[in-house]
Amino acid sequence: MNRLTWWKLALTVSAILLLVSCDGSNENTAGSGDTAVTPDNSTLNVFEWSGYELPEFWAQFADQHPDTNVDFSFFGEDAEAFAKLQTGYQTDLFHPCSSWWQLYVDNGLVQPLDESRLQNLKDIPESLLAYGRINGQLYFVPWEWGYESILVRTDKVDTIPTSWNDLWNPEYAGHVAIYDSGETQHVVGALVLGYDPYATTPEQNEAIVQKLTELKPNLLTYWTDYTEIVQLVASGDVWIAGNAWPDTLVLLQDEGVPVEYITPTEGRMGYVCGFGIPAKAQHVDLAYDYLNAVTSVDATTFLINEYGYGAANSQAIAGADPDTVALLQLNDSAILQSTIFYESVTPEQREIFVSDWDRVKAAP
Amino acid sequence: MATITTQSIPQTKTTPAEKRRLLLLMGPPVLALLLFFLLPLGVMALYTFQTGTLGGEMSWSLETYGRFWENTALHRLLWRSTIVSFQTSLWCILLSYPIAYYLVFRAGDRRMTLLTLIIIPAWTSYLLRILAWKLILGTEGLLNTFLLWAGWIDEPSPILLFSKTAVIVTLVYVWVPFVALPIFAALERMDKRLLEAAADLGSPPWYSFLRITLPLSLPGVLAGFLSVFIPTLGEYVTPLLVGGVNGIMYGNLIQDQFVRALNWPLGSLMSLVMLVALLPLFFLFRKSDQVLQ
Amino acid sequence: MINADKPQRKFSLSLGATYFALFTLFMYLPIALLVIFSFNDSPTLTFPLNGFTLKWYKALWENQELVTAVSNSLLVGVLSSLVATALGTMAALGVIRFDFRGKTLFLSVAAMPLVIPAVVMGVAMLIVFTHVGIPLTLWTVGIGHVIINAPYAMLIVAARLAGFEEHVEEAAMDLGADYWATLWRVTLPMSAPALAAAFLSSFTTSLDEFAVTFFLVGSDTTLPVYLYSQLRFPSRLPLVVTLAAIMMVISVFIVIVVEKLRKMAN
Repeated sequence: MNRLTWWKLALTVSAILLLVSCDGSNENTAGSGDTAVTPDNSTLNVFEWSGYELPEFWAQFADQHPDTNVDFSFFGEDAEAFAKLQTGYQTDLFHPCSSWWQLYVDNGLVQPLDESRLQNLKDIPESLLAYGRINGQLYFVPWEWGYESILVRTDKVDTIPTSWNDLWNPEYAGHVAIYDSGETQHVVGALVLGYDPYATTPEQNEAIVQKLTELKPNLLTYWTDYTEIVQLVASGDVWIAGNAWPDTLVLLQDEGVPVEYITPTEGRMGYVCGFGIPAKAQHVDLAYDYLNAVTSVDATTFLINEYGYGAANSQAIAGADPDTVALLQLNDSAILQSTIFYESVTPEQREIFVSDWDRVKAAP
Repeated sequence: MATITTQSIPQTKTTPAEKRRLLLLMGPPVLALLLFFLLPLGVMALYTFQTGTLGGEMSWSLETYGRFWENTALHRLLWRSTIVSFQTSLWCILLSYPIAYYLVFRAGDRRMTLLTLIIIPAWTSYLLRILAWKLILGTEGLLNTFLLWAGWIDEPSPILLFSKTAVIVTLVYVWVPFVALPIFAALERMDKRLLEAAADLGSPPWYSFLRITLPLSLPGVLAGFLSVFIPTLGEYVTPLLVGGVNGIMYGNLIQDQFVRALNWPLGSLMSLVMLVALLPLFFLFRKSDQVLQ
Repeated sequence: MINADKPQRKFSLSLGATYFALFTLFMYLPIALLVIFSFNDSPTLTFPLNGFTLKWYKALWENQELVTAVSNSLLVGVLSSLVATALGTMAALGVIRFDFRGKTLFLSVAAMPLVIPAVVMGVAMLIVFTHVGIPLTLWTVGIGHVIINAPYAMLIVAARLAGFEEHVEEAAMDLGADYWATLWRVTLPMSAPALAAAFLSSFTTSLDEFAVTFFLVGSDTTLPVYLYSQLRFPSRLPLVVTLAAIMMVISVFIVIVVEKLRKMAN
């Protein structure tokens, strides 16, 4: 074939590709946030932690809107979600955790919620709802609360850890993995050294950095997504997972991996997370319908059974699998009392936590 | 890589018509570069004079510079990343030089086809090739399975995966085809008659290689070295996927600062520092590229 | 003398060829692995292999998110490559056919995107887009890809332009054609292989671009960004691997075409 034929071939290939791509993606580029506000009910964009896209969570919504496509996109850490929203990410519903809620409100990134449109609000205790009320308005609907604690492969270790300090035990060298978040590690460090995580002095912060740097020889890696840590524990590469969420325990037990969830002497850590509607959401009506679906008793009972989280919907626990409840000790008020929940922090505080953590990561 | 010399065919006096043509031709590219390349870099430089985080209070100050100056761990990480890039580049040269040599001197007519054969993997998906290496290096992966089967180890070793070594191995794999090209080009352009002359004068092959081939190929070697070294310094994807705790590179922390810490001023400063450090190398790269031509 | 060389040459020949063979094996091993596992009937990527299946290919076809990501990538790829090739060609014409002050400066700056670390490029563009208030969409991704690819496009076309004489253009203009008509009907068609090579090279780069795209992407993902997010989900790994196998084959095809075109261009 001569050069002219090759040229024609190349152009033909390109033309075909252009046609193919025009077919399937018109709605994607058109709906990218800069066109009219008239909502179409064909898509709902949900920005979520991975694992919550399971259809059982929004079955009611699927029944209500069988033709609507629910488009999930995922983030691994709250900071990532915030960075995205702050830089103009388009979505209709998202799921951050409570220590960040104030920041979203302060930056005008979420819209106030119309409580009359939320059917399941009555079942959520006021103590939890209070987290979501900022400046007198409800901006976030609490959905789940959960523990963050140490998970251990009981068949791989000689001693079961009993304290956060046991992460540093040289017996586990090279088989510990911790969550890649400055906020989290600051709390762990503070707990181990006996400080109040939210009132540390600069000297105490230095001590925390030092302590965390000493942990590095024990670490295999940092994990950023819960499925990553599930995989690492299942394969036996990781024996001790610091900062594991309850879903890790439930999933591994389901696969028959011998693991145990620890209540350290200093107390477990805990968090509350929930849903908010971004200020620039395009499918607000669909978002409310989704919210009602996901906060329903069925969905939240499924949450408990599937992942072992606590549900904000107080009706959920009645129908939950008692073994799971027992496994996660969701009814144990003593554990709940001693749990250190994440508190809201100012951007300045958070900046210190994260830059300290970066210093730990950068250290040789 | 093809190069452009700054000399062109001598023109007669530029007429207004020619000026207009030049403007129309060069206008859009220059505009694009200005708006979408130089301007971003400029704004990034401006950010270094601010302090604060995304979503919080931002103010003008030199505090970010102070912070960077004090943070010796960051400097050392930049240095350690330089070492990793250096080792990667060195291994790339060592591995690809024999390939280029073989292709030019031994492969005869088939050399272009064989060259293409090696280049093809380089054009396939970067992420997926890293994934494939995770498969090879992982605990239940190819390498461990093989070592266990051969009886060389008792237990699968996870160290092969989350380490600095894993990062270097993966980076070398990704970049080695890009290094083979300039060395190939340099050796190809060499005047082979020099070697014939040397042989006629009684020079043994290895001596001719050392005194003739090697020096003449150096511009290609340099261009190849730099074309790996400069981009890998800012690498963050490979260390993220296979680096674990010790394989972390400077680029990871830059990404961290932007996506996790939301500290855009510091992230910008870190990027700027790296760019400035690379600048002399960049000019060296342009020089060596021109010499090739 | 030549006879004395022979035995040594034979030895080096086999040594060199062996090294080359091993090297090629090394380069293709991960790709081969991916292709093998795409047919493996197991949800995890471990040895030993389990059995032949086509179910991953079928599942891939049915995966809506994936299809969307692929079409997004194709769209961005084609459009950004057209623009990159156009800009690169214009710059090449300007640089090769004209003489002007600041040419060296322009060339230096134009070559920078080729070697600047991707993280810096992505970060700098993100800053500007955010500051100006441009939302992150496939358009911002496209712009990023144009900046990455235009310099190389320029080099490819310039190499071709430098290769043939200006006299052709002068001759056409002497015959009465104006400059732009000459470009359109003479220069560009004669450079067609280079233009196509530049386009395809930009296209393959765009299709695979992750490092810069990661910073510039909004809620519509491209294929590499989607792949990256899937790498976090062990259960989806077989699908990712299967996609990899398909993409490898397509890339191979495109690369072969580019090489043929480049050879013709020289």
